[in-house]
Amino acid sequence: MDTADKNPEFSSPEITPPAAAPSPLQTNIVIESENVLAAPGSPEEQQQQPEKTPTPFQDSLRKLRRDKRAIASAVIILLFVILPIIGPPIYQHIGDIYNSPTSGSINAAVYHSPFHTELTRQDEGPSAQYWLGTDAIGRDLLARMLQGMLISLIVAVSVEIVNVVLGIGIGVLAGFFGGWIDQLLARFTDVMFAFPGLLFAILITGIFGTAADTAFSNVPLIGANGNARLIIVSLALAMTTWPLMARFVRGQTLQLKEQQFIEAARTSGTSNKQIIIRHIIPNLFSIVIVAATLDISGTIIGEAGLSFLGLGVQSPGSSIGLMINDARNLIDTHPWEILLPSIVLTLIVLAFSFLGDGLRDAFDPRAKD
Amino acid sequence: MVQFLVKRFIGLIFVIICVTFITFILGFKAPGDPIRALLGQHFDPQTYAQLKHQYGLDLPWYQQYYNYITGLFRLNFGYSIHYQGESVWDILKAGVPVSTELGFWGLILTIVIGIPTGIFSALKANTWVDTLNMGTALILYALPSFVLAVFLQLLIVWVDKWTGIEWPVSNWGNPWQYTLTDIQYKLGPILVYSAVSFAYFARLARTTMLEVLRQDYVRTARAKGLLERVVVYRHALRNALIPLVTVIGLSIGFLVVGVFFIEQIFNIPGIGTTALEAISNRDYPVIQATTVLGAVAVVFGNLIADILYSVVDPRIKAE
Repeated sequence: MDTADKNPEFSSPEITPPAAAPSPLQTNIVIESENVLAAPGSPEEQQQQPEKTPTPFQDSLRKLRRDKRAIASAVIILLFVILPIIGPPIYQHIGDIYNSPTSGSINAAVYHSPFHTELTRQDEGPSAQYWLGTDAIGRDLLARMLQGMLISLIVAVSVEIVNVVLGIGIGVLAGFFGGWIDQLLARFTDVMFAFPGLLFAILITGIFGTAADTAFSNVPLIGANGNARLIIVSLALAMTTWPLMARFVRGQTLQLKEQQFIEAARTSGTSNKQIIIRHIIPNLFSIVIVAATLDISGTIIGEAGLSFLGLGVQSPGSSIGLMINDARNLIDTHPWEILLPSIVLTLIVLAFSFLGDGLRDAFDPRAKD
Repeated sequence: MVQFLVKRFIGLIFVIICVTFITFILGFKAPGDPIRALLGQHFDPQTYAQLKHQYGLDLPWYQQYYNYITGLFRLNFGYSIHYQGESVWDILKAGVPVSTELGFWGLILTIVIGIPTGIFSALKANTWVDTLNMGTALILYALPSFVLAVFLQLLIVWVDKWTGIEWPVSNWGNPWQYTLTDIQYKLGPILVYSAVSFAYFARLARTTMLEVLRQDYVRTARAKGLLERVVVYRHALRNALIPLVTVIGLSIGFLVVGVFFIEQIFNIPGIGTTALEAISNRDYPVIQATTVLGAVAVVFGNLIADILYSVVDPRIKAE
């Protein structure tokens, strides 16, 4: 079950690291070059010509570049990051003055806002004024879509920061020192595994949701537009993802700890703190980046799911999940309104899954073909 | 083996206590006074004190927790705050058969579709069949159930329009009855509901089967001239199933969470719908009860998986 424990990245039997490796990076060069070139020979021979052997990181990047699916996913992810940030300001400058029967003469900045309702223009298809049409109360679908993507992005980034920091911090401590912190982590992850994460998030957001609405209503940016619950949503999602990350990191740390370069560092008098900072954490890079990429897809689904259930972003705010829920009863008459957010969510989620798989193939030495 | 099971059982009890404690504390610490909210404009101190006493909310927290726990063992989840006088169990009762029906068929489909697909893919590894199977499984596994549901509903609407067949897009028939209309209602939701977990099973079954097929004993079986059929079904398949059994517990986790989303998008009157309604009514006893029920289902799934595991893998007894 625990792939981290099985990952023989640094412990394959055929690999013999040099007796005294000055730094983990150089150890890796040797390991990788042995595998890549399949050239038997002592490490000393290899080190005489270091300019010809790519670092493991370069090697992984080269492999990643050949993975067309991962590249396509990376492009989609790039769009997902850029569009919601630069899209709205541009979109709000495009379009003529519109004489609205309800709100008078308004410019694009108003009717291209994700929150403006234009009651005479409900459920429209794409047009020159509304590029992707309008929803059931005449709000611009493109503007709402971009706003929803921005929400996904913000939640994903904030959850991932907590996830990586807590995951590495506690995982390394548990793996390196063992003892009570390891026991505590093991029990905690047991409970978290037995208790589905999203169920926990539903419980937390369900109980504290309305209170968050009032408590954070005055906080700038977050308080407005029904986004107050996002703090609870992010906290709940972060709570449910970091234990798994910590377990991966712990497994990897346990393996690293037994490596000769750590032993070498220790015999040469390096303190535990220095070993952790200079030798363990840099070597966790590949496992953390792979796990984080896959977690992002789960986090985006989590936020969309909670908003879909009515526990996340509240009206008039916008979120991909909320848009799906809003259009739920229009599936017969205006299928486009539910199709649009569903397709966008599908693309984002698949992109992160495929990129995660691609990264795993590229960084995992077992996956050589 | 007995020792192993006892150890697992103690572990599970620990998990249940943690879960009930977390849900209790969350409900206890929940902001807002439910009784005050219930009385609203008709607030008067005497009724307030009386109601508070009636619900046991005037006791210190440890006493409330004790009452809560002992109540759980008697299937007494307390009384609803929103629907005064109704017990929580009465409110849940209508939804339980529907949700368990969903869960039952979800689990059956997971096993019946997932495992054979994975095994088949492994036997045809790296052919177009395998690529197609695993591509589909990857997409089904990655997408959330409510998005899959949207795509299925759009497909149904589209087929309805073109063929004139009246196939319902949402709602649920009579629980545990299977007339033609019931099946029409249930087929779509159940398929979407189990998609995530059968896709997961298919991927896992393929990996474990491939691993087993590479083992020495399979090569030996082939080398001594056994029929391929015998090698696959008697030697490889049995061993490939062992790790799969252990993840049944995990798939029950998927299924319990899936209930909320599937019931919401298909308008199915199950416990998920009840729970969401309770959340919007801030009916804490009902929220707590549904969470505990979900957690207990997951925990029992894990226990059953452990028992099955020790049955199929004799090495467990030695531990």
